[in-house]
Amino acid sequence: MGNYYHPSSIKEALRLAANNSGNYMYFSGGTDLQIYRKQGLENSETIIDLNAIEATERILVKNASLQMSAFTFLEEISLSKDIQLHFPLLAQAAKSVATPVIRKTATIGGNILVNNRCTFYNQSKEWRQAVGSCMRDVGDICQVTGGKNKCYSRNVSDTAPALIALNASVVVHNQEGEEEIPLKDLYSPDGIIFHQHLDKDAILKKINIPEKPKTWWFKKLRLRKTLDFTSLTLAAVVDNKDIVRICINGMSMSPILIEESFHSLSIENLLKQARKNCKTVDNDLMPMKYRKEMMNVFLKQWWSTVYSN
Amino acid sequence: MSGPVGKATPYIDGVQKATGQAMYTDDFRYPNMLYVGLLRSSYAHAKIKNIDIKAVEADPAVAAVAIGKDIPVSFGVLPISPDENAMAVDKVRYVGEIVAAVAAESIEAAQKAVQGIKVKYEPIREFLNPADSLETCAPDEQIHDHTKNGKNIHKTAELRFNDPEKEFESADFVRKEKFKFAGVTHAFTEPHSTIAIWNGDETLTVISATQVPHYLHKNLSKVLGLPIHKIQVKKPTLGGGFGGKSDPFAHEMITAYLSMKTKRPVKCTFSREEVFITNHGRHPTDIDMTVSCDKKGNITALDTDVIIDGGAYGSFGVVTSYYNGVLLQGPYKIDKFGFRTRRTYTNKPQCGAMRGHGAVNPRYAVEIVLDMLAHDLKIDPCDLRMKNFLPENTLTVGQLRITSNGVKECLETVRKKSDWDERYNKLPYGHGRGVACGFFISGSALPIIWNRYPQTVVHAKLDFDGRIVMFSGASDIGQGSDTMLVQIAAEELGIPMDFVQVEAADTKTTPVDLGSYSSRVTFMVGNAAKMAVEKVRKEMAKAIAKEKGIAIDSIKFNDGKIFTKDETLDLSWVEGVEIAMAGRGAFVESGFYISPKLGGDFKGSGAGLSPAYSFGAFISEVVVDPETGEVNVEKIWAAHDCGKALNPLAVEGQIEGSIHMGLGQALSEDMRYVKGQIMNANFFDYRIPYSVDTPEMDVTIIESNDGEGPYGAKEAGEGPIHPVLPSIGNAIFDAVGVRMCELPITPDKIFTKIKELK
Amino acid sequence: MDKVELNVNGFSHTVLVDSSETILDTLRNRLYLTGTKKCCDEGTCGSCTVHLDGKPVLGCLTPTMRCVGKKIVTIEGISAGEDLHPVQKHLVKNLGLQCGFCTPGVVMTAVPYLENNPDPSIDEIKNSLSGNLCRCTGYKKINEAIQSAAEEMNS
Repeated sequence: MGNYYHPSSIKEALRLAANNSGNYMYFSGGTDLQIYRKQGLENSETIIDLNAIEATERILVKNASLQMSAFTFLEEISLSKDIQLHFPLLAQAAKSVATPVIRKTATIGGNILVNNRCTFYNQSKEWRQAVGSCMRDVGDICQVTGGKNKCYSRNVSDTAPALIALNASVVVHNQEGEEEIPLKDLYSPDGIIFHQHLDKDAILKKINIPEKPKTWWFKKLRLRKTLDFTSLTLAAVVDNKDIVRICINGMSMSPILIEESFHSLSIENLLKQARKNCKTVDNDLMPMKYRKEMMNVFLKQWWSTVYSN
Repeated sequence: MSGPVGKATPYIDGVQKATGQAMYTDDFRYPNMLYVGLLRSSYAHAKIKNIDIKAVEADPAVAAVAIGKDIPVSFGVLPISPDENAMAVDKVRYVGEIVAAVAAESIEAAQKAVQGIKVKYEPIREFLNPADSLETCAPDEQIHDHTKNGKNIHKTAELRFNDPEKEFESADFVRKEKFKFAGVTHAFTEPHSTIAIWNGDETLTVISATQVPHYLHKNLSKVLGLPIHKIQVKKPTLGGGFGGKSDPFAHEMITAYLSMKTKRPVKCTFSREEVFITNHGRHPTDIDMTVSCDKKGNITALDTDVIIDGGAYGSFGVVTSYYNGVLLQGPYKIDKFGFRTRRTYTNKPQCGAMRGHGAVNPRYAVEIVLDMLAHDLKIDPCDLRMKNFLPENTLTVGQLRITSNGVKECLETVRKKSDWDERYNKLPYGHGRGVACGFFISGSALPIIWNRYPQTVVHAKLDFDGRIVMFSGASDIGQGSDTMLVQIAAEELGIPMDFVQVEAADTKTTPVDLGSYSSRVTFMVGNAAKMAVEKVRKEMAKAIAKEKGIAIDSIKFNDGKIFTKDETLDLSWVEGVEIAMAGRGAFVESGFYISPKLGGDFKGSGAGLSPAYSFGAFISEVVVDPETGEVNVEKIWAAHDCGKALNPLAVEGQIEGSIHMGLGQALSEDMRYVKGQIMNANFFDYRIPYSVDTPEMDVTIIESNDGEGPYGAKEAGEGPIHPVLPSIGNAIFDAVGVRMCELPITPDKIFTKIKELK
Repeated sequence: MDKVELNVNGFSHTVLVDSSETILDTLRNRLYLTGTKKCCDEGTCGSCTVHLDGKPVLGCLTPTMRCVGKKIVTIEGISAGEDLHPVQKHLVKNLGLQCGFCTPGVVMTAVPYLENNPDPSIDEIKNSLSGNLCRCTGYKKINEAIQSAAEEMNS
């Protein structure tokens, strides 16, 4: 029937993880993972709930840089005056996730690490059995493409593209200690193993943003103004060294970053890179063709706001 | 009126609901209760070769197992098409159909146990879209044996008057357009739930989330072979229906059967996914709509060809087929008129009745085509409509009897309030206004199950405590019918509402009523209630007149008092009750409602007959982002003629709720299937509008005071959904110049159309 | 199964719960507090909202074990047989409820919202309720009821 642990420190959590090797899952807010458990997509016997870990320095803005605990609730981020002032891109991205009550429990760490989604995978057990299970579940083919080689599940984090555009790094704490890595390196373009650097029972602990950008832009494509997972999220930043960082999510197995000098970037090149890097298939309720068109539209909209001034 | 009728009246069960004390079916618990687990088909169309239940029977947590052969008697809401079984008997017809059931000691044990039942299937050709079902197929491929001509057509409904096709050949203006509508579902918040209790006296009590205890009562008796007088069906507080809880359901038969078999209370509550699988929602529909008019904009003819995708079973489908056509006879006068609807069986969950039953999709089509004609003629769309309205007190071409009719006032009202003449066709690109009208029945004049009884009976009981108890079979499903019964009794007897209480929707204690669907309750039950309490008043007046030696007619009931104008009589209500009961004790008076004889003398003439019709006109304002195709409905002005609002709060609530539901179907809701399987059986992916998606609303109630309705009342629960969708569709055209003929109007569709335009 | 102590509406209950059980199922099935409604069971409708140490959470997503040692308040704890909370009072008065199934969740969302946001506009109220699914009312009368409740609480 399983075990539930509620450690009060990362150290204790890591010890519990070691004791339950391979058969545990971490809950941060748990708002997304609970559904995976109900659908039989996550069956670990042990839950290690990180919710009681006392996070110090939840949001700290200093010299226009940001340090933030990964256990900060999405609502805190969207309401933080400091973040609204210095990193409105992040405030807006956080506010675009789920619903107000969920944002009071869901954490930024959880959203950064949200599981990839697919219309054929995120279904009940009975549903998956009836349709013929996919390769990410227990089958061996992709129900979307009919192929056998690759799973194209989508990364649907809204805060990840914002943070990647802001050049954020994260601190992960594993059995061997702490390690700081660029956030973009946390993702791998694979629909099944979509995170990396999270072995050795790693816990996402902190998020750092080095500096306040010069300009920012954010847009999320969805049918309703609340709840919906993204069909396409675009976050873009021009930093103080005139580096452009555009991050596209919801379109591919991982967030897609395009990083260029402001002065050498052309819209044609931008559209081309986006098209080339996004491995988009029809695994969302919005049609693939439309999402691709909207990616162009969003990029052009961003372009016109930045390059018209 | 000096009592509560016509005044904004909070629901009598409002406090219970707001405090969490109201009891819905799943909130009841009985000693020694078992829980049902259901095994569902993973095939869309397959023969059942074998079901192995041995392993499950041996499970100590399992008290009983049931399969299709245990209760093979077919049932269905319409006695003309009882094509369902409690569980699949020889074959399955959709993914999710119930194949076997267990009753176990806990929910978890039940869910685990059913997975131990092993079923062998032999797949048959699947019919997943109506086009395939219209073709001839091999006899063993037919979804049901009873369909004719070797096809999977369930019903063809067709009526034609005065040769509309001939008119199209010579008409000044003709518009023909194709429309496509996705299926949508009710998505009431309370999942289906039922509890069956086998009583010590060999009677059966079923507590169920049902809009129609009567149909469940009758079908339980048929399927279980239990005499009808031994069955009691009760509806507790119910969490929304919208037509989706009006059929008798398989799980209700199964739960009752398992209770009889185990002699223990048994409960079955659905998960949200199971609610979606059970569906019974609005049919996916294809419509060819042709309308013609003369140079002045007078509509000369209408003809339409409709295909509706019924899913695997009949449900209300025969009625739906007719409603797709006959309800186009209003609110416009059309003398050359025709339609044909074909309802196909397909291997998907069945469709049935949903708010605005059968008429919502063709209403969209006709209102869009009228807008196109207005453009062709360069006439304001409001003006075109004003020219063509049916008058009051008339017959339509198919002999629907129109009595009160406030449609002109509805349209004039929204036109004025929205400042239409200054805004329509004058807003900047991307902003638009659209108008549409509506028309719906106030209850069906003919019952589904033919009988010689009234459509409803209400009993009013008076006892020594001065309390009036209203006994009615009508189901309060959130629309406030229990409150209406109290208002009417308080109104007629001049007493405070707290002297009146309601016993409703219990087939043992309340007189039979045909249920809460087809917008019949206010009109029919309201009339019956009024008659019952009028009789109580007369009985009281008679006794008081006799005792006091005064004229009956001089006695007034008001303000909790019984008195004469000249003050020779001045009794409190309780004193009056004492006199009325002297020598006879507590008494019950009965009121009833029977529809007048209506309709023509031709086959199909009964469809759409109603003692009264509601009317409406709505205007929508939208903003469309031409770069993305995203739509935002900013505001809707609504005017609905409900005859007389017995409870204006409740009428507004119905109109506002209709706007929400219509908005969902127009822009985002869509039952999606892959290989016959619903792929969005949850609220993430079946996209119902939330508070932030719902527009500002300006609601006006128009009162045309119907001559036959109680205090002049007609319906308000379903009519107001009809104008919502087309007013949005027409507003999108005004905003960006594209005609949206496929619902839901998602941004990708608008984006594509705008691109085509360029 | 774990034996735990849960503080619900000020009373302490000792119950046996499964390690992966949610507080929604514990409240409804083990404590028979059925005012908290199960509608979608996956965080999309808000019907099961309860308060955990004063903060609204979704019962269907919250592990019961997480609630140990905290104060749980359910709809029954808002006005158990006593005077209605202004939110409840105005929902009833303004017909901000029809079938009533989503209503406990609306109350449990709106009450803490108004405590922190005493003077909200209609748009802010709409936003605060954008995780509560109501299929009956079209939300208008709910929004208006909550605004009236705010006015009463401020006066």
